Order: sequence, then structure tokens, then C-alpha cells
Amino acid sequence: MNQAILWPVYLSVIGAVLGWLIPRKKPAAFIANLLTAFASLAICIVAYRGFFSELHFGLRLFNAGAPLNLLNSVIFHVDKLSAVFLAIIGVLGFCASIYGLSYLGHYDEEKLALYAFHYPLFILSMYLVVVSWNLIWFIVFWELMTLFSQFLVVCERSERAIKAGYKYFCMTKAGADFLLLAVVFVTLKAVGLHADYGSLSKLLPVYFAEHEGAFAAITIALLIGACVKAAVVPLHSWLPDAHPEAPSNVSALLSGVMIKMPIYLMFRFFLTFAPVSATVGLIIMVLAALTLLFGVMYALIQTDSKRLLAFSSVEQIGYITLGLGAGMWLIAMGHESLGAIALVAALFHTANHALYKGLLFLVAGSVLFRTGTRLLDRLGRLFSKMPLTAVAALVGTLSIAGIPPLNGFVSKWMLYSTTLMQPQTSLFGAIALVVSALTAAVFVKFFTTIFTQPPEKELDVKEVPFTMWAPQMLLALLCITFGIFPFLSLRPLISTVNSLGIALSRSDLSVYPCVVIPGTANLAPIVVIALIFIITLVLAIAIGKVQAKPVWTCGNRDMLNLRLAASAYYQRFRKEFGFIYEFGTAVQNLIEGLWQQVRLICESYERLSYRLNAMLTGAVIILLLMVILLGGKAL
Amino acid sequence: MTWVALAVNILFVLFYAPLMDGIERQVRARLQCRKGPPITQTWWDILKLLRRPPVAPEKAVRPIFNLAPLVAFAALLTAFILVPTLLPHSITFWGDLILVIYLMNSATLALVFGGFASQNPYAHIGADREVNIFLVEELALAFVIVTLAIVNGSLTIEKLFPVQLKLSVAIALIAFVVLVYIASARIPFDIPEAEPEIVEGALIEYSGSQLAFAKYAIYLKRLLLFSLLLNFVLPRNGVVRPLLFVIALPILSIIYASIEAYCGRYRVTEAIRLLKRISIVTMISWVIAIAGW
Repeated sequence: MNQAILWPVYLSVIGAVLGWLIPRKKPAAFIANLLTAFASLAICIVAYRGFFSELHFGLRLFNAGAPLNLLNSVIFHVDKLSAVFLAIIGVLGFCASIYGLSYLGHYDEEKLALYAFHYPLFILSMYLVVVSWNLIWFIVFWELMTLFSQFLVVCERSERAIKAGYKYFCMTKAGADFLLLAVVFVTLKAVGLHADYGSLSKLLPVYFAEHEGAFAAITIALLIGACVKAAVVPLHSWLPDAHPEAPSNVSALLSGVMIKMPIYLMFRFFLTFAPVSATVGLIIMVLAALTLLFGVMYALIQTDSKRLLAFSSVEQIGYITLGLGAGMWLIAMGHESLGAIALVAALFHTANHALYKGLLFLVAGSVLFRTGTRLLDRLGRLFSKMPLTAVAALVGTLSIAGIPPLNGFVSKWMLYSTTLMQPQTSLFGAIALVVSALTAAVFVKFFTTIFTQPPEKELDVKEVPFTMWAPQMLLALLCITFGIFPFLSLRPLISTVNSLGIALSRSDLSVYPCVVIPGTANLAPIVVIALIFIITLVLAIAIGKVQAKPVWTCGNRDMLNLRLAASAYYQRFRKEFGFIYEFGTAVQNLIEGLWQQVRLICESYERLSYRLNAMLTGAVIILLLMVILLGGKAL
Repeated sequence: MTWVALAVNILFVLFYAPLMDGIERQVRARLQCRKGPPITQTWWDILKLLRRPPVAPEKAVRPIFNLAPLVAFAALLTAFILVPTLLPHSITFWGDLILVIYLMNSATLALVFGGFASQNPYAHIGADREVNIFLVEELALAFVIVTLAIVNGSLTIEKLFPVQLKLSVAIALIAFVVLVYIASARIPFDIPEAEPEIVEGALIEYSGSQLAFAKYAIYLKRLLLFSLLLNFVLPRNGVVRPLLFVIALPILSIIYASIEAYCGRYRVTEAIRLLKRISIVTMISWVIAIAGW
């Protein structure tokens, strides 16, 4: 049954080819979406199987000679860690594809040409990144993922989209080159050409134990590559531009799934290929804290719904990397079980973020689909007009704000309870706690400006069609389910962490609705959640019907139909903590200045190169320098 | 046994929370040379409101508007099964302090959502102010929690209280006393509800039984904060505890109410600035806790 690994490949390739061949692009996009939905289901099946037994499948592609022989065969392999990420791709891919069936209807024909071909391939490349069992192929699929997603970002072909897509491509390509360096180094120096992940995890730790310099170099290269793709703060600036420009179902995938791929890479590399190192854990935690703080502060000032969600994605990546870093640090320091819980929390938050951020992007898409605007100030009081979307949005809002008993609370809880008590990690835990409140504020703004505040002028819209609200509802239901029954996802996640060689048994954790506790507790905290529901319900029934009267205008005769502008939310707070924005702007200016300088140098070299002699001399000097610097030893 | 004790605790707080407000009103009145209402007045107010039918604005987002005060009330009442009050019994589990904080946050957010759902511009202003203050409060509170967690090596209420007195904890405790004052929205800091200015802010459109529960939730929050504060210092077990608890609550009320009686209102910016300073104090206490004192 290992053939099952290939089903998603077949389905999405057929989808892409049909999307390319069918001349009328609307049906083409429809078919591409439909086949991608099936491919996503197949990915879910692969993931489900992967939790129980490892799947393995080798494929011989060509019979090339010496320099290319390392590309001769490709090996697909699904173990528990890949299964977690496959499940995320599968579930969100399915929802986004179904959603796309109707959503893409409001795009023009020629804009869909890019979409129909690249969308199935984008999902496919993410799938292949996770299932590939060899670093060289990993890099190939990684680059393809960047390429295809870049075409989806520019799909609308507006000037803004093209600029954002270009920036995205350049930054992630540069990041991927660092990855490439790391991979080349590993394959050439440490393990030889045909090493798959299995032998890497045996050979590399031994190699790294002997060569500390090599470990440092590879770690830095890998961190840079992964951080660019994951949008960790100093390297995040492509994300808030690129994600909002894509069609909303693609934004959901970009934010929900694609930025989790580097998380997969980091789990794979730092926990199985390398000895667990406290220093690396600490570096990741510091980056995570920066990401949390700046992501959320910038999300607070956005007035464009999708851009707000994009900045919030940056912040949520901070939570995930914080879990990873704290886990590594705690394990290296000897707190094995706490560290394991932090790692489980990171994986759980990855899944949770995929669910609710996917949901919120779909909601933003639905609002865009009906009203035609992303600007929060143009929207308002859609609750009664789009009730299903609004309820889904409310669930997403509450779970990203970490309100018990939704899934966001569970993973945040696990993060706090592991980080807060160790003096060295406590700062990061405290930052996470504060950022959680800020996230709540961000999403109060998101929800209230769209769904409850009085609109600038009355919007005449109706609920989105079934294929659009059903995926939203499915994701909302999953958010509630994972909050109330966290063990559903914790059981596979714990066995995943075990498979990475970190001991944590299921009996170490007591799992209740909304809380996960190491050890055992005397009374089930289930009472807490049950009580909230019961009291609310009883009171709601007791109060019964509520009369309706006009808004009380304090005796004024005019109807006060004012709204709080999106840019006016939390103005005082933002003003008092303005130094964060000032710092951000200062850094931005610094980078801008540096870039200008680099450009000047490049331009002057370009001018120089018009004269052939000077250019050749320059090139020879540069070559000479490179030989001296790089090749001296090796030659 | 525990269940009975929990029921006693819950009944006690349900009874005492409005009474506490009555006591504070009386204290304020005396300090301002007024006769003031009897201390049962708040109870009568609530009972009166409970009998009145609730009214919602026509265009309000009904489901959110109607549920908000109830959720706030339920969340705060639930917090009392985690925090020991009169009797030292509570449901305890690993890290329950975080859940208490989140239940308080949920109550705040519920009222904020209710305000935004009501379509009244005054309510929007009130709700916005509420969040402004809440954000900085959270910053200060986070570092108080971290300090406690480091010193005790635990986030469980059972192990946290009564606290072992160290320098860092003492500083955090002082900051917490001020935070309790601010978080319970007493007069210089009643900015979200600012009665003369934005007419009860987020609560402006509530009436009848809904208003009763919203008010009740606010009284419960004050009592919850007092209980947390008292747990720091009171002995955990023994017969003296209920006695001391019952004596200490009115004393706290008198202290806090008399400060209230002599204050005007802060503007939002001033309150945020003050909270920022308190946050710095709590951060210092965290640094000291790291150093091991």
C-alpha cells in the first residue's frame, strides 16, 4: 500500500495539466480546485497511515551518469513527524480548495490562467517537501514551492501584487540559497551523496560532535534559510506584502501551511540530525520573542483585513518557534519532560494556527467576495447579513485570542506552563503572556470592525454560497473540537515527539478540556468549563426574550450613527508604546540606507564594466580574491 | 466534602460581592460628609434590576450583545472554584493560576464585545478604553506572575499561597496591590465606565436583568482580586482562616474606598503612563527574582 504516497501526486498533476489545457479558464480553475481537493484528501489518508506505520516508496527516475547520479532515484518516506505536517496540508488544502470552487468565480478569465496551473502544483510541492527523504530532493521541492507560490501571489497582476511577489521571491530565494549551502556542505563533507534522512540521523550527530565549527556554520545557514521562509522577525518583511495579495484561499494556505514548512525543517534538523543544543534553543527563543512582539504590535496598527491577518501570522510563528526553542533548551538543560511538553506545544500550536488562521483568511475572503473591499473602515455590521461567516469568524477570533475552551488556549497554556517557571526562559514566557493579550486586542478590532460596528454606509450583501461557508464551518468545528478534546491531537503528537527520541509517555500528561497537565490532578478541571457553559445557559434561558428599542442617544434627537475608525482603536496605548514603532522605523531606514549604498557600489561597477578592459581586470581580481579566500586550502 | 466547601465558597461570594459594594459606598459617603445609602442598597438595586425586562437596541448584534454580560458573570463566578476564598478549598491543578487570569480576561473581553455589539458610539469609546487599560495591566501582571512562578517554582495556586516573603516577592506584591486597585476600575481608573463623561461606557445600552449581571460581574471581579490578594498573606489552613478572611475583606474595602473618595478621574493616557511605571517595577522584581533574592 506504499503506492498511496503517489496518489496526491497523480491527482494534482492531472489537475495542473487540465488547468493548463482547458482553454476557458473559469472551468479550468474549477477542475483544478476539485482535483486538488481530492489530492488533499489523499494527503490526509497518507498522513493517517503514516501515524500508524512508516510508509516508504523509492522511485528510479533516470539513468544518468556521474555528475547527475544523485538525482537518479527519489525516495518518499512518511514517518510520524512528516505525518503531522501532512495532516495540516491535507486538512487546510481540502478546505481551501473547496472554498476556491466558488471564490475564484469573481476573478476575470485571464487572471485565472496562472491560478489554474499553479495551484495544484503548489499543494503538490508542499506535499513533496514533507515526504521527500533526501536532502537534495528536499531542496529541489523547496525551490519549486517558492516558485509556484510566487505565481499565485502575482495572480491578480496588479502592480502591488507584482511588486510583492517579486520581493517575496527574491527574499525567499536568497534564504533558500543559504539552505542550499548548508545542504551542499552536509552532503559533500559529512555524509556522502546518497544519504537519506535515516542515515543522516545516524551519521550527522557523530560528525557534529567532532566538528563544532561545521555545526555552527550549518546551523547559522539553516536558521537564516528557515527564518526567511517562516518570516521570523528580522527577515519577515516579505510576508505582510505577499500574503494579502494572493487569492484568499491561497493566502490561507500560505499563512496556514507554507510558513510551517521551515518549522518542519527545524524539527527535522535540530532534533534528529543534530545533537540537541541549548545555545541554538536560546537563539531560537530570542528570535521568537522578537517575532512575537513586533508581529503583534504591527498587527495592531493595520487597517486592511488581510494585512492584519498576515502580521498576526508573523506573531503566531513566534509562538511556534518559542515552543521549539524552549523545548530544545529545556531538554539540553536536563528538564526532559518539560522540554518534551514544549515541543508538543509547538507542534500543537502549528496545527492550531493552521486551523484558525486558515479560517480567518477564508472569512476575510468571504467578506472581500461579497463587499469587494479589504479595508476595515468600509465594512460593518455584517453579523446579521452573513451570520454563518460571522459565527465562524467569532470562533476563529476567540481561539486565536486564546479564550478557553478553544484550541488556541490549550497550546498557549502548554507553552506558559513550561516556560514561566524556569528563570532563564521566564522572560520569553512573560512576553508570550503579554502578546496573547495584544492578540486578543488585534482580533477584537478585526471582528468588531467587520461584523458588529455600524457601517459607514449600509452594505447590501448576503451570505456566501455553500461551498464557501462549509469549509469555514468545518475549520471552526475543528477549532472547537481540539479545544474541548485536546487528546485527539495530543495523542499522535506525543507519539511524534517520542519518535524523535524524546521520552514523554501519554501517562505523564493528564488531558482535560482546555488544559493539559503534567502528572495527575485531584479533580477534573472539566468542571471549570462545564460550569461556564451551564451558568451562561441557565441565565440566558432565565432572562428569556429581550425587547428592542432604538439606540439611546442621551436625549439627542439625531441618530448617532458614528463608528470607531479602525485606525482609532487603542490609540492611547499605541501612542504610549510608540517607541516600538519608532525602533521599527529606525531599523527600516537603516536597512534602506544600507541598500542604497550597496546599489551605488553596484551601479558604479556597472558603469565601470562598460569599458571592457576595466571590467575584465575587475573580474580577474575578484576571481583571484575568491580563489585565495575560498579555495586556498582545498586546492 | 470539597464539593460542599466549594458550594459554601460560591454562595459566600455571591452574597458578599454586592454587599462589599454597599460597604464601600457607605465608606465613601461618610468620607464625603454624606449620610449615604444603607450597605444593603447594592443588593436591592440588583434585585430591582433583575425584575425589570431587558432592552436591546434595535440594530444591536443580538446574540453577542445578549450573551456578553452572562459570559462575563459565568467566567468570574467559575474563577472562584479555583481561588480559595472563605474556606481554603478549591479545585487545584498544575498551573491553575493561568486559567484564573484567562477567566478574568475572558470576562473583560466579553464586556468589550458586548459594548461593540451595541451600536452606541459611547459604548465603542468605553470598550476601546477598556482594552487600552487591559493591555498595559496585562504587561504588569505578566511580570508579577513570572516573579511568583520563579520564586516558588510553581504556577499552582495551592503551592503559591501563602507566599514566602523574599525581596522580589515583596516588590511584586506591592505592585499587585496597586494593580488590584486599577483592575477593579476604581475611581481614578474608572475610565472605561466614566459615568459623567461617556455614561457607563460599554454598559450604556444594558438594562434590566442584563445590566444586573454586568454589574454583578464587576463586583465579582473586585472580590476575586481581593481574594487573590488576601491569599498571599492569610494562613492556608485552620479555623482562623475564615475568620481572618471575613475581617480582612471589609478592611481592604475601607482602605480602597477611602482612596477612591479623594480622587478625580485620570485620563486614559495618565492611567497608561502609571501602569507603565508599575510594569517597570514588576520587571525589576522579576530581575531580582532571577538573581535569587
